[in-house]
Amino acid sequence: MTTAWFDDKGRMTPAEVQTVTFPTSRLGRRGYEEGPVQEFLSTVHAEFVRLVNERTSLWQEVQRLRRRIIAGESDGDSQPVLFGEADAHVHAVRILSTAQVTADQCVADAQDYSGRLTAEAKRRRDEIMHEAQQYSDQLLEEAHTKAREAAVSALNVPAAPQSDETQRAAQAELAYLRTYGDVYRAHLRAYTEGILRGIEEWERKEAASLQEAAHRLPPAGPPFGPRALNGDAHLHH
Amino acid sequence: MDVARLRESFARVTVHGDELPLFFYSDLFLRHPEVRGMFPISMAAQRGHLVDALAKIVSQVDSVDDLTTFLEGLGRDHRKFGVVAEHYDAVGTSLLATLEHFSGPAWTPELAADWKAAYKLIGSVMSVAASADEQLRPPWWRGRVVAHEPRSFDVSVLFVQPEPRMDYLPGQSVAIETPSRPRLWRYYSIANAPRQDGLLEFHVRLIDGGAVSMVLTSSTVAGTELRLGPPVGVLGLRQPVSGRGLVLVAGSTGLAPLKAIVDHVATLPQPPKVHLFFGARTADGLYDLDSLEKMAGQYGWLTITPAVSADPRFAGEKGSLPDVVARRGDWSGHDAYVAGPTEMVRDATARLASAGVAHDQIHIEDFGWSER
Repeated sequence: MTTAWFDDKGRMTPAEVQTVTFPTSRLGRRGYEEGPVQEFLSTVHAEFVRLVNERTSLWQEVQRLRRRIIAGESDGDSQPVLFGEADAHVHAVRILSTAQVTADQCVADAQDYSGRLTAEAKRRRDEIMHEAQQYSDQLLEEAHTKAREAAVSALNVPAAPQSDETQRAAQAELAYLRTYGDVYRAHLRAYTEGILRGIEEWERKEAASLQEAAHRLPPAGPPFGPRALNGDAHLHH
Repeated sequence: MDVARLRESFARVTVHGDELPLFFYSDLFLRHPEVRGMFPISMAAQRGHLVDALAKIVSQVDSVDDLTTFLEGLGRDHRKFGVVAEHYDAVGTSLLATLEHFSGPAWTPELAADWKAAYKLIGSVMSVAASADEQLRPPWWRGRVVAHEPRSFDVSVLFVQPEPRMDYLPGQSVAIETPSRPRLWRYYSIANAPRQDGLLEFHVRLIDGGAVSMVLTSSTVAGTELRLGPPVGVLGLRQPVSGRGLVLVAGSTGLAPLKAIVDHVATLPQPPKVHLFFGARTADGLYDLDSLEKMAGQYGWLTITPAVSADPRFAGEKGSLPDVVARRGDWSGHDAYVAGPTEMVRDATARLASAGVAHDQIHIEDFGWSER
């Protein structure tokens, strides 16, 4: 074992790339923006780790080949050990690791998607609530204005001889309330119908997309296929 | 055991980054396929935990007391995953194989002996603590959801009946696992002090993309069977009770542990004055105000101040919770408890400290070793 492996003395490590800090330039001086620099450093870090690992695999491969040559030379056998048990184990570990990383990525993507979906739903909800609030304010204001006009005109109707002040005031009040009620009811009806139309639209679209999704599903697999089905159940909800 | 050699060796293998834990778990699952089922589908977070725990152990390997406390906690905590004594040997074998694989020519018989001795120590502290714990309590509790109350767009309150009865301190938390997200445990504070009937109250906020919170707030209904880990955390009321007034600062579902503390105060012979601030972004985020106001009506010593940060129409206190707390009184000479979003907890702690609350009288949510 004469090959240098990873001679750390004085060599840079990926961790150094990850933790390096630079002094910030003084105000008015030119300097790099921090965001892109950090982004670049994290790319360099990832690449550094990858290189270290590739080197490890190559070193191990070299060791394996060397053992094979030595074995071939010493016993003179023309069939030296091609692929020992230990090599097979490391190979299996690598295959399993690759499968695991793929599974991790699938879960991470699904989670990310669901996160964006929820965030978007929350944003839309806030928007809708805000619009509804504004609409309701506007509606109340309009009803109030119209009703006040009605009340004023009720007051301005020439008084019948027998009517006194109280009665005129009551009539004005009545006109106010009646108009306010009418305007409010009309708006409420229009608004509620609008919402119902929205819900119907939503149901129709949901049904359509569910149907589409059902078409895209692959046909049922063999008993051991449904590993994917487990995964699916995991991603749903 | 040569500590310096151990640390140097660990530093050398960590340059391989994620490959190290990836190799470890694949090696473990190949040698012992039966343990794969103890882990979640995605192992990404798990790999991070492993490396963090190893780094902590290696850095503390010569301060035995701290390390022992950490390892004992870790050992007890692993009971809920179904870890038993035999698993410790399996993990040791794969750990040694992993270290050997990544150490290359630096792997010497002496180094191997160091790691073997270190792991033997780790494994025995963890498994001894775990078996002592077996005498005291189950590895996990069955928790039947008795009621699910959606309180707002993204917050639900769950009432859960543990089986058997669970003993805990008000302010503590438990990890929860749901049937549809096997092996994913998330910590939630219990929002009440222990009750006669043993019922537990949890406040769950839907986190964007949160695998477990989504299940708990949407598809969990009365009758759903959850699993609950053992109670952890130290946010409880300090004993003995100082007699000083309490100021409790709760942001969103950070209310849960603080409500448990109010519940606890109610059982004291001479309850101190308690002022609870409950903050949210909008009025409908004050998801438990009715229940709190009922408590305030019942207890003369309790004052509730709701506050809303992003809704100018709100009739009560408006502004960020730390601002509201600061302008609503002089809290020097009080004990303060703060829980909620990290940023709010940090700001509120700073404001309270600058308003004259002594540092050791400000208590924040702290999961200690179980934080993950």
